[in-house]
This record gives sequence, C-alpha cells and structure tokens, in this order.
Amino acid sequence: MNLQWRLAALKNGLQDATAYRIEFFFEIMGSAFVPAAIQWVLWYAIFQLGGKQEIAGMSYPEMLHYTLVSLLFTQVRGGDHDFELQEMIRSGQLSNYLLRPVGVVEFIYIRGVAPRLFIATLCLALGVLFSFWLGLSPIRMVGAMFLALLGNLIHYQLGAALATSAFVWEEAYSVLMIKNMAVSLLSGELIPLNLFPESMRWLWQSTPFYLYVFGPTQYALGYWSHGEFLYQLGLSCLWVIGGWLLIRLTWGAGMKRYLSLGG
Amino acid sequence: MFMKYLHVYWVQIKNNFVREAVYRTNFLTALCVDLVWIAIEVSLFKVIYSNVEVLAGWTQEQVYFFLGIFFASDALFTILFQRNFWNFSDLVNKGELDILLTKPIHPLFLALSRSLNLTAGLNIILGLSITAHYAQAAGFPGGYHWLKLIFWILIGLFSAVMIRFLFSIWIFWTDRSWAFSRLYYQFFTFATKPDQLYPKMIRYLILTFLPFGFIGSVPARALLHGLSPEEYLQIFVVLTSFLILNSFLWKTGLKRYQSASS
Repeated sequence: MNLQWRLAALKNGLQDATAYRIEFFFEIMGSAFVPAAIQWVLWYAIFQLGGKQEIAGMSYPEMLHYTLVSLLFTQVRGGDHDFELQEMIRSGQLSNYLLRPVGVVEFIYIRGVAPRLFIATLCLALGVLFSFWLGLSPIRMVGAMFLALLGNLIHYQLGAALATSAFVWEEAYSVLMIKNMAVSLLSGELIPLNLFPESMRWLWQSTPFYLYVFGPTQYALGYWSHGEFLYQLGLSCLWVIGGWLLIRLTWGAGMKRYLSLGG
Repeated sequence: MFMKYLHVYWVQIKNNFVREAVYRTNFLTALCVDLVWIAIEVSLFKVIYSNVEVLAGWTQEQVYFFLGIFFASDALFTILFQRNFWNFSDLVNKGELDILLTKPIHPLFLALSRSLNLTAGLNIILGLSITAHYAQAAGFPGGYHWLKLIFWILIGLFSAVMIRFLFSIWIFWTDRSWAFSRLYYQFFTFATKPDQLYPKMIRYLILTFLPFGFIGSVPARALLHGLSPEEYLQIFVVLTSFLILNSFLWKTGLKRYQSASS
C-alpha cells in the first residue's frame, strides 16, 4: 500500500480547502450554527413557548445537550466530493485521472476528506472539553467521533456509487442532492430520530444515515451502552464493505459505458 | 421602453424553453429533487406534530398552509432568478459583464433575466395545492381573500430577490462569492419555519436586517390573521431600505469593476 501519494493527496486537499480562509471559516460557521439555531428554535417553541415538560422521553436540557453534541458530528458527516466525481464524469475530466496510477474514487475521497479530518480534530477537542462541562465521558466522545468518521466514509461511498448514474444520464447532480436532503433529515442533524413516531421509524432504521450524527450523539451522551456501540460499529463496518462492493460494481459497469470525446 | 424590455424577456423565455427541452433527463431529475425537498420539509413537521399539538400557536394545518405559500413563493424565485444569481459571480470574475454593459438595455436586467429554471414550475402548483388543501382547516377565510395571496407571493419573491442580491453583490469586492452564496442558503433555512417560533432576537433579525420571514411566514400570518399597521409599515420600510442599499452597492460595485476578459 503506497502511503506517499495518499499523504500528498491529503495535504493537497487541506491546502485546497484552506486556500480561501475566509470562505472556509464561513462554511464552518454557517454549517455549524444555522442547523443548531434551527434545532434550538424548535425546542424553544415546544418547551418554553408551548410549556411542554418532555417529548419522546427527552426534557428541554436533554434536547439542548443533543443539539450541542450533535453539532460536533454534523461537521464531520460528509463533504461534497461525490459531486466532484459526477462533474468529472459529466465533463470528461475523468480521462485525466484514468491515466494516473491511482484509483480515482479513492484519490478524490482522500483529497476531499482532508478538511473534514481537520474539522474532526477540532470538534473532538471541543467535544472532550464539553464532556467535562456536561459530565460526559471523554472516552465515549473519542468512540463517537470514530463512528462519525466511519459515517463520513459510508456517506462518500454511497455518493460515489450514485455518482455513476452520470455514466448513464450524463449528470448525477440531482441524484446526489436527493441523497443529501434525505441525509439531512434521517441522519439526526435536524432533530433527534427518536422523535419519529413508531410508524415512521423504519425510515431511518433502514438506512445507514443515522450512523453519521444520531448514532455518535447517542453514544457520546451515554444513551447507548458500550455493547450497543460495538454492535453499531460492526454494522458500520458492514456498510463500509457493502459500499466498497457497490463502488466496484457501479464503477466497473460505468467505465464500460464511459466515452471521452474531445481533446 | 417597457415593450422593449418585455420583448427581450420573451426571447429569453423562448431560449430557456429550448434549452430545457434538450436536457430532458436533467429536467425530470430536477423535478424529483424539488419533490423530495417538499416531502422532507413536510415530514419534518409531521414528526414534530406527532409529539406536540400546537407549536408557538401554530396548528399543524396552519404550518402546512404556511409551507404551501413558502414553496410557491420560493418556486417563483427559483424559476426567475436562482440560476442568474448563481452565475452572477462569473459575470464579474470572468469579465462576462463586459458584454452586458455594451447592450442598449439595463445590464442588471439582462444579468438577472438570462436564465430561467423551468423545473420549479411544478413546485408552484404543489405549493398552491398544499395551501388550498389546508386553507379551511387553517382558518383562512377564502373567497376574495385568495386575491391577496398573489400580492403576498409577490412580496415573498421581492424579498428573496433583495436578500439574495445583497449576498451576491460583494463579488465586486471579493474574488469569490461562493461563501456568501453558501451563507445565504444556510440563513435561508430560517425562512422554512413560521417566524413566531423564533426567540425575540432571531425573530427581530429575520423581520428586519435579514428579512427571510417575509418570504413565507409573514404572508401566511397576514392571510390567516391579518397584520397590524405597524407591521405593514415595517415591511415597507425594510424592503425600501434594501432596494436603496442594493442600488447603491450595484452602482458602487460597477465603478470598481475591471474587465477580466481580453
């Protein structure tokens, strides 16, 4: 396994993301505080204005803790590098990458994940600080961040597989947008998934999206036992293997259809 | 003068129809994106209302009524302006504004009317259908009051254009506007909830400096319960201030503009 090009791609990805520092900063701030503010607004309306004491077994402080901790994992949950793949297929830039002695799907992931790793490190440091303040276990925080990073990988794998629809339809932007919209609701970044009524729970339980934010948050807050965490970790590994197989299948089929025209 | 602009706009519409007809798959998949977005917003409230009966004084039917207006108003913005605002930074960065400046027509009119996104047409129908479906249960009086809906959707559209323009115009001062566009869409999430849900400070913000509340929430409130004279005055003052500020920034930006093309 050649580590050299992987480290170079990682470094390149980080440099690329932070070249425009103000933009990078705005992106982090926007994606952190707006979803948190929306959650806070909902809890404020339900508990403070509506006078509710508890919903789905959670009180107002518990909801706020969920919002605060889920914020850390929301930052890690995905990037837009699957969009990069679909754009390469659509525009024919993929040809340039096919000439290189590296796997294009892996290369784009490593370059794209670099800023996420940087953010994950910052979030983990913040999380450990929070854990002392909120009386949580720092060890759980580390485990939860690991689960969130696996979620990031699964998210990309599914995106990379879906991006191959560009081989058939010339673009996969809409398909990827649909996936991202579903993720926003079913990952638990908007609301805790235990708010879903019994009849709708299958919606999130049948996808791996809950492993991106809801799962790590549950573990970090102590709602999941260590046994449950290990079970979910095993499930994540199965999703990773499934995702890897899916990529091989879809990219293998897609490459047979790929036509690069022009100079 | 007006007829000249109307004629130019008609030509733009025809060109856009031709383009959409060429990329049919794209048209269909974009329709799906809009449908999923609507489904997700509706599902979010369905989940919330499975746990509570009333949210800051809004019943489930009233929130769906609001969502219908919001979807219709936003769809109108998407059809007429969204792509043009996405392309706005290229006009300045790549020097494409040069061509528009040489035309015997206002460059801003051309810049903001060149591309239409016809896929969002279905969203207007869907939004209005949702509004109509929940109108009675939400307490909307109906009858001639439906005429007011047109006015309020146009207010929503105008507000969205004003805010989006304010987030785009900084391209004259910065090299890239990607961050501002992204920030706009982050803040836009505030428009997807009724303004009465928000704590005082955020509510004040979305009804004054960043009037996202005017896109769907205030129109829904106006149609359901009516607004006080102070609120009408507030809407007028805020939108007029935005118009003046945006005009000033456009003129100042143009003075800074240096052609990037050869």
